[in-house]
Amino acid sequence: MLILNSVNDLLEHIKDVQEGVKSLSSDSLMKMNNFIEKNALEVDDDIAAAFQYQDIITQQLDASLEAILSMQNSIKVFSHAFKSDEDLANGSMQKLQDKLNIALKEAKEKKERFAGKTEANKSDTDEIEFF
Amino acid sequence: MPLVIFVDDSETALASTRMVTNAMPIDVKQYTEATTALAEIKAGMTPDLIITDLNMPVMNGLEFLKELRAVSATSRTPTLMLTTETKTELKQQGKALGLTGWIVKPFNPAQLKQAITRVLRLPA
Repeated sequence: MLILNSVNDLLEHIKDVQEGVKSLSSDSLMKMNNFIEKNALEVDDDIAAAFQYQDIITQQLDASLEAILSMQNSIKVFSHAFKSDEDLANGSMQKLQDKLNIALKEAKEKKERFAGKTEANKSDTDEIEFF
Repeated sequence: MPLVIFVDDSETALASTRMVTNAMPIDVKQYTEATTALAEIKAGMTPDLIITDLNMPVMNGLEFLKELRAVSATSRTPTLMLTTETKTELKQQGKALGLTGWIVKPFNPAQLKQAITRVLRLPA
């Protein structure tokens, strides 16, 4: 049980750090944007792409935050079962492991889905598609 | 000038589209929530082109598209999805709802300009 509390505390810390990174990365680019707009500067393709990368960073962090929340919920359910009935807890251990694996799998799938057309994920079929 | 509305929950994504469109002969309105854009449309705003993100809290891009199609003023308004998503199933869902096209982020500024020019039939 103690180890689960520590894992939960660690997840909480990671969540806080990720929220902070999201907020700071957005603030820093918006400050740059304000400077560009205030001085009516023209931007090239690379700058326009840099602004979009921030959006991708946010979505990637959001996907991993969702996984953390899911893991925390599973730990909470397990902790409750452990307190009420030890036999029930033994069965819940397997369920907890399954749920944590599912949360991790979903987070990895979302990492791919939300990567967009970044350098690491370029594809010839990713052009603008008209229907 | 034609009115183009952008909907994206990311301020930086909206900033990037402003950078690309500010020299184009269009009026631009931007929204961080689809529900706000939808309320303005229901109140009488008639955009000529709608460009929306897909993954947004409260109302996602496909839900927004569905709502747009239910409003007579926007039942046929050209709509482009601008998103990090590349899943074929999602594109099919959009297509079934009358989506005009799908643009994957990060977009190439020249391509976004071309897409807007093409859809609005602006002089090249």
